[in-house]
Amino acid sequence: MILSRVAESCFWLGRYVERMESTARLLRVNRAFVLDVPVEQLARWRPVVVVSGEELRFREHVGSDAFTDGERVEEYMAWDPRNPASLTNSIFWARENARTTREIVSLEMWQTLNSFFQWMKGGQGRRLWSSDREQFYLRMQELAALFWGVMYGTMLHEEPFDFVRLGMYLERAGQTVRMIDVRYHMLGPHAHETIGTPIETAHAMALLRSCSATEPFLKRTRGIPSGAHAVDFLLHDEAFPRSVRHCLDRAAHGLKRVRPGVRDIGARTQRELGHLEKTLGEDGTRGRDEAHENLTHLIEGLAATCEAFQYDFFGQAPTEERRSSADAASST
Amino acid sequence: MKERGGTNGGERQAPEPVFGDYSLLPGTSDECFAAGAEPHPYAREIVRLIDNVGRAALKARQRLTTGAFLKGGITFNVYSDKKRGERIFPFDLVPRIVDGAAWGRVERGLVQRVAALNALLLDIYGEQRIIKEGVIPESLLLKCPGYLPKLRGLAPPSNVFVHIAGIDLIRDSKGELLVLEDNARTPSGVSYVLENRAMMKRFLPYVFQHAHVRSVDEYPARLRDALRAVEPAGCDDGAMVVLTPGPFNSAYFEHSFLARRMGTPLVQASDLFVEDAKVYVKTTAGPQRVSIVYRRIDDDFLDPEFFRPDSLLGVPGIMKAYAAGNVTLANAPGNGVADDKAIYPYMPDVIRFYLSEEPILGQIETLLCGRPKELEHVLAHLHELVVKEVNGSGGYGMLVGPKASAREREEFARKLRGNPDNYIAQPLIQLSTSPTLIDGQVVARRVDLRPFVVTGKDSWVLPGGLTRVALVEGSYVVNSSQGGGSKDTWVLQ
Repeated sequence: MILSRVAESCFWLGRYVERMESTARLLRVNRAFVLDVPVEQLARWRPVVVVSGEELRFREHVGSDAFTDGERVEEYMAWDPRNPASLTNSIFWARENARTTREIVSLEMWQTLNSFFQWMKGGQGRRLWSSDREQFYLRMQELAALFWGVMYGTMLHEEPFDFVRLGMYLERAGQTVRMIDVRYHMLGPHAHETIGTPIETAHAMALLRSCSATEPFLKRTRGIPSGAHAVDFLLHDEAFPRSVRHCLDRAAHGLKRVRPGVRDIGARTQRELGHLEKTLGEDGTRGRDEAHENLTHLIEGLAATCEAFQYDFFGQAPTEERRSSADAASST
Repeated sequence: MKERGGTNGGERQAPEPVFGDYSLLPGTSDECFAAGAEPHPYAREIVRLIDNVGRAALKARQRLTTGAFLKGGITFNVYSDKKRGERIFPFDLVPRIVDGAAWGRVERGLVQRVAALNALLLDIYGEQRIIKEGVIPESLLLKCPGYLPKLRGLAPPSNVFVHIAGIDLIRDSKGELLVLEDNARTPSGVSYVLENRAMMKRFLPYVFQHAHVRSVDEYPARLRDALRAVEPAGCDDGAMVVLTPGPFNSAYFEHSFLARRMGTPLVQASDLFVEDAKVYVKTTAGPQRVSIVYRRIDDDFLDPEFFRPDSLLGVPGIMKAYAAGNVTLANAPGNGVADDKAIYPYMPDVIRFYLSEEPILGQIETLLCGRPKELEHVLAHLHELVVKEVNGSGGYGMLVGPKASAREREEFARKLRGNPDNYIAQPLIQLSTSPTLIDGQVVARRVDLRPFVVTGKDSWVLPGGLTRVALVEGSYVVNSSQGGGSKDTWVLQ
């Protein structure tokens, strides 16, 4: 048995750690990408903001002209308290969700998050940010890796654990789909003039890197990566841990584990997840235009699944800071 | 590992002794040293062990504890800054040492006191013999804000009201431990006892190992077993939960700590609901029955149907479940009458009345201004007494006679004559001191002690308790909000 409120906190703990890691990786990869590839000004940093679902708020607080200013985008994405998806906010909320479930998560999980939080709060994070930005983002990624490992090795593998992982997989699936979506016009049918060019290859590589997928992808294919191949891999490869297919499979498995088998609890989520898998399955059989439309359907389907999950297990609407930007459907 | 600073084998310089120039406060007893700056016999070995650590190393270790508390999230929340206002409770690495041979008497005294508090509550919410036989005047009882007449006729499961008691003790200038006040509602601080102990083991392992200190770690297990022992009949599969006001409460760390260490869920009021006078918790598998609630919220916020119809907080109907005998609430509602300041002066008589025993622990001589003779005495001796409002707290509405001006005393005397029932008076007690590390020097600072007594079928006393220390020189105030800290309490085997 697990309290609904605790289940919800576990779920969001997983989402926030995953979101932090994903955002840090995207920022790190994008820094390298904009140095290497000659793309138009607006296409350099705006995608990073769009992936996090923060486009509107960014325009409002920082200004539309700031999309071309990498430093301002990074500042907003890492530190800005007004950005609910900023790295600092994700860390704060991950720790806060752990703090309110300390009797559930393991002591080691709490200490991992808390000492990192103290590191950020004490100014050391900011100093590293100024002196070695790459290392700063890597620290975030390492924290996530450490956290997952510590969790796997110290926490009871039962419902609370399953809820954290469900949060992680659903967040991850959403991140991957949105990363594909935001670059799709550089890779897909509207990019006739760039297809097969080094620019397309660079975009495809950046997309793969943003998902830590470069080497796994190269194990699956020969030759220069094309956009279509990369997208297909990120959507459908069953063994790649960040592919949408893999995340949905694991989420379905986790759902089975947390469904109590009474009063049909979880049925609505099951149904939504079924739709989602069907949408994903149809993707390959369609033409390119429909495929892009399908990405939009996937994003909407994920939001619907999370909503159903909230309804089935937590019995209340998500709080404001959680809702904002979390399930934002961002389509370019 | 030996706790020596900076030396590693080879030629060793003797470290600078920690207690080298420790000096006592005149007219005040000390927990570690006797008059003439000789350690008490029971403390001699520990003084030697800590002296060997050396002042510099001790200071360095003291610094490390701050980071360790912060990293462990062992903090309390500050109300004014909801979001990130977490502070640590200042911790002092020099332990307060308690003579193991003398502790047995303290234990018996505490158990006796809790037995009397419990008998008093059972009687007040039952027959009220103590009123009928004239030991406590009825008028006094009716004025106690903690008295809830609606609860008359209700007895908790197994007749236990005070499952967890914190009885505050102080030591006077003669070296006598006295009861300062009883806490029979939701006494807090026990998590710091356990966490302070963990810090001592971490930062002074060699000293600790050789000091032979009685363990405090079994507290959560003792509490869990005690509560299970007074579960309502026929609820074998009911869950035990810890009920917290939520993560913004100043004591949230402790609530979470106890839930964790007892292996029980930590719930908020909104996680619980009542149906057919039974309590349930909302889970992902639907409602689950709850039979024991260790609640860390005040009576007033327990059940809006019962206490405050205007309140949105609490669990509607939980008092119905309690009245039906379907849930154990720890501590029981209505306990506020027993630890009221106006009842305190009667406690020695309460002990004699119910237990037919003499009180083992003394308490501070207290004058009830509501009695004409005592009022006269108080008025004549205002310059040497501390006068408190019976329902005041935090030092408000209080006169410290020896420190007040003649005019302040005159004004207070007028108030006193106007409403004598509202006041009690006590002599100013010179709280004992304990050596405390301040800016690298070990100096005498005043302390109190809150031992914890857990009661199920029997009572058990946690060896030691929370020692709070007034870190400000000369201060009598040990509260964390006013420059107080805490230290580990070592009851020796």
